[in-house]
Amino acid sequence: MTLERLDALSVARRAAAEIIPGSVVAVSGDWSIAVADLVREDKGVWFLRAGGTLSDLPINAADAGAILRGGNVDLSIVQAAQVDSRGSFAGYHATDYPGPQGHAGLIDLAGARRVVTVLPHNGADRAPNILDTLTLPPDGFRCVDTIITDVAVFRVADTGLTLTEVAPGWSAEDIRAITGTEVTVAPGLREMDFTVPPGKPPSKVYADGPSAIADLPDGATVFIDGFGGPGGMAHHLLVSLRDRGSRNLTIVSNTAGIARVVSFGTPPGRTAIDHSVLVENGQVAKAIASFPVSPSVSRPSEFELAYRRGEVDLELVPQGTLAERLRAGGAGIEAFYTPTGAGTLIAEGKESRVIDGREYILEHGLRADFALIRAHRADTRGNLVYRGTSRNFNAVMAPGARVTVVEVDQIVQPGELDPEAVVTPGIFVQRIVRRPDGFTGYE
Amino acid sequence: MSADKERLDRAIIAMRVARELPAGSCVNLGIGIPTLVSMFVDDESVVFYHSESGVLNCGPLAEEGEEDIDLINAGGQFLQSVPGMAYFSSVDAFAMIRGGHVDVTVLGAHQVSANGDLANWMLPERGVGNIGGAMDLAAGADKVIVAMEHNDRSGNSKVVQECDFPLTGRGCVSLVVTDVAVMEPTPDGMVLREAAPGWTPAEVQEVTDARLIIPDNVAEYEV
Repeated sequence: MTLERLDALSVARRAAAEIIPGSVVAVSGDWSIAVADLVREDKGVWFLRAGGTLSDLPINAADAGAILRGGNVDLSIVQAAQVDSRGSFAGYHATDYPGPQGHAGLIDLAGARRVVTVLPHNGADRAPNILDTLTLPPDGFRCVDTIITDVAVFRVADTGLTLTEVAPGWSAEDIRAITGTEVTVAPGLREMDFTVPPGKPPSKVYADGPSAIADLPDGATVFIDGFGGPGGMAHHLLVSLRDRGSRNLTIVSNTAGIARVVSFGTPPGRTAIDHSVLVENGQVAKAIASFPVSPSVSRPSEFELAYRRGEVDLELVPQGTLAERLRAGGAGIEAFYTPTGAGTLIAEGKESRVIDGREYILEHGLRADFALIRAHRADTRGNLVYRGTSRNFNAVMAPGARVTVVEVDQIVQPGELDPEAVVTPGIFVQRIVRRPDGFTGYE
Repeated sequence: MSADKERLDRAIIAMRVARELPAGSCVNLGIGIPTLVSMFVDDESVVFYHSESGVLNCGPLAEEGEEDIDLINAGGQFLQSVPGMAYFSSVDAFAMIRGGHVDVTVLGAHQVSANGDLANWMLPERGVGNIGGAMDLAAGADKVIVAMEHNDRSGNSKVVQECDFPLTGRGCVSLVVTDVAVMEPTPDGMVLREAAPGWTPAEVQEVTDARLIIPDNVAEYEV
């Protein structure tokens, strides 16, 4: 009697069980894409598809690559043609899409925090697809941690494959007989289960600023948004951080607090809230900024006074380089060459290189523990819309922080923001706070 | 003595610079005299103003009482909302600059050297300064025009043979417009193109640290 193999839908159902509510999942290949249809919408999962969508948001190929490399994808479910005993895989390519282009997206998928492959256990000629060594060109090197086939589930470790589950009716010996590499059998070998567990994601909406940054530690690197004036600055979060009192912070921002000394329309008798509230409270150890001090020598900012007293460090960065370093950090690009600053003080101590007759300097990406940003509206999934010129550094900072907290004027339900108008997709936003009624950017 | 001769005012400098902006070009104006330039560009020439605060096609400043904190230029001034504006992030703002999409930038300066080095971000005696977008503009704009006073408040020439202030960019300036002259930095040195009304080339040289190359056809400052 021939043992029955699972159909693609059953494999997809088993793969769907690997998905955590609220997580970001990249899918590629028909078997894998079928998984997305099996996960209930209220599970809050973001599906990144090779065609250029992130759940219902349209995105371009560059952004999709940045999301994958930037460490924002929790799980890739990839349809493979072959997997080896150490977790390298060759992706499945439709026969009408040959050549190296077919590999490009799959190679980025291998950069997810976790990679699961789905594949038929054997090819049309019954040759095993799980092997000691791949015979097809690899798309991912030692990145797969779980293999789900139409007969079994394996966990992958440095020591090789462990069989943990078998399809109904199959034994460990049956599986060994059709597998092209050595297999260890897990002590608790089980039969595969095809129920897709329900679940809801944790809410991203926090009651207020203090609760949203309650775990912001001493010594943290913090992206702080804003261009210079009161627009686009998360004043409520800044005041919350002052009240929390986290110390020894490295702040990354366009300025180091100049709104207080440049009027920018501040009403008479009021003081603008800016980075100064942290500096004067002794919380800042270092600023990485492009416009750190007052434009006027005679009206020095709190930061400049602290700098003159030797209490704070400063890393001065050209504004475009700052923006690109933030982008790179969030997009998984470690460093890049830029012409900006070549031949100036900024280039000192940096690697430089002449390319096509022009001098460039090497600048490194920036990442942070927290980003405190400001947007106009958010939906509860974290999709953001900005207002006017207040988009500037906010949108750039969101992807590169472990925890991005946004302060908005309004929080709406999913569906109320036009996906075409969303600037920051919600996968880059972990916490959402509504700016309290009547709160202004002034004290 | 030429140091006491009458000089052009800031608006005239701006007016002279405005002649350098081709119709349909994308232009970024720095803080100070450069900001004034847009007053002298006629609407017919459809110049697109770029601001690194994240807006393209920005227009006039907001009227009093109409200020919106979410609509500013790079100098922090409030803008009017006008048809045809586009908003974008700082990454895109500087991709436009470094990527060669900004045709002309007009910047102020502390010093410009004979070969076009620019120093405009730090006065050494302060020990700290603001770079902002200046280095990216110096490196990325197709044409960098400096608009400034010829001499500082103490009378020191800001048009120098070599900069001794920290540089913003090397060899990046293509035209210098001051209250005394219009000059073109070249690999051979600073060429005097135009002198202010009433100024002889020799008088311009007297208030200038850089050794000027003076061709036969120095024009009168055209506005």
